Amino acid sequence: MNNEQVNSSTYETEYIPSIIRFGRATNLLGVVLAFLPALVLTFVYKLHPPIGAVIAGFIMQASVSGVFWFVEPISYSPVLGIAGTYMSFLSGNIGNLRLPASVTALQAAKEEAGTERGSIIATIGIAVSIIVNVLMLTAGVILGSSILGALPPSVVAALNNILPALFGAMLAQQFVPNPKIGSVAVALASIMFALMKTGCLAFLPGTPSYAVVIVSVFGTILIGRKIMMADLAKKAD
Amino acid sequence: MDYSTIANSVLMWFACGCGVALVLFQAAVMTSKSLKAGKKLGITDEQIKVAVKSSAVGSIGPSLAILAGMVSLLVAMGGPISWFRLSYIGAVAYELMAAGFGAEVMGVTLGGADFSATAFACGVWVMTLGSIGWVLFTALATPKLDKFRTVLAGGRKELVPMVSVAAMCGAFSYLSIDRVVRFDSQTIAAVAGFAIMALFTKYNQKADKKWIREWSFCISMFAGMAISVLV
Repeated sequence: MNNEQVNSSTYETEYIPSIIRFGRATNLLGVVLAFLPALVLTFVYKLHPPIGAVIAGFIMQASVSGVFWFVEPISYSPVLGIAGTYMSFLSGNIGNLRLPASVTALQAAKEEAGTERGSIIATIGIAVSIIVNVLMLTAGVILGSSILGALPPSVVAALNNILPALFGAMLAQQFVPNPKIGSVAVALASIMFALMKTGCLAFLPGTPSYAVVIVSVFGTILIGRKIMMADLAKKAD
Repeated sequence: MDYSTIANSVLMWFACGCGVALVLFQAAVMTSKSLKAGKKLGITDEQIKVAVKSSAVGSIGPSLAILAGMVSLLVAMGGPISWFRLSYIGAVAYELMAAGFGAEVMGVTLGGADFSATAFACGVWVMTLGSIGWVLFTALATPKLDKFRTVLAGGRKELVPMVSVAAMCGAFSYLSIDRVVRFDSQTIAAVAGFAIMALFTKYNQKADKKWIREWSFCISMFAGMAISVLV
């Protein structure tokens, strides 16, 4: 017990602060490096798109993705952990790649998300997914559009169905051991989705899918907490 | 100069390569810090090994899906930018849209005959500005997000894993329902993926087979896809 406390304290006092220092520095550098290709086009190749057009395009894009700059980190960081959050948002493709990779690693190593050991395992899973993704995209870009473009449409259609199968599988992996919390999540997501599709969320600015995410994630956390508290109280009796 | 010559120039490869190198560097340093901390917490080498193996295998399917999305981006925006945007901050769902907006505000069509070098540059600017929000917000707010999680758990440390489980259930319910309501082969894929994984998980709650823990995701994902194509 004593030993365990000592371990915990180095996690909180050494590991986490060093991750935060390094993560903040690399992600801020990431903001700068993100501009490199655009700056090269403008200052080396002298391509000057009108500033008004760039701003108009940015506003169009921000109206779709702007809310997700905040919603995704807030919703996904409980699973990704601190190191995993820095890495995932620097590398992108969160819901479709980083999140599944971290959950897969946790399941294989039999650790829980949200614990200290779980955060370490999630970090490793995310790092591995980054390497695999970069390698495969590099191979893809070298093969080039000529070869990738020559894939029969049936193959491309099949590849597009990997993601829905993945999402279903991820949900099942969480749902089966936690049927109460899982049911709450499915119910909330279904209701919010129906409201969005019937135009009941049209009072919200932009495409209101962010409202579906917020209610599905935080509604489930709040109701899940009530359920867990009740279960714990029952056990205590 | 023709825009595709610029888009695929050595200089563009270099400008894009810097960001990709940063992602890899960050992942390497974070991994080494985490491995050290993990040893102190009593994580075994065997756990690390199976975690690496299953996340590597599990990343292949999603990366194939990203690759399929890259095809259309590659045609319009050239190699370096497509490679960059999909391994650095970007997500496959947003990038084509951002490039399209960039072309639209210039009054041309993405990849169309009138798509000029200036429109290409406009697309790159829109993609860049449209995606830095994520990395800027996480650079500044991540430690606060972690504290927020404890607040969500009502300040009780034993409830923190529940917050993670609930967040995952919520996120994957949303992502799944978005596919289920399309009522096409994607619906079948999502339902089949759910059903196969549910069987694996249910069975393994008692059996606790190692190969199931390592392979069930991969099998469910590809079997779900295969069923959706065959039905």
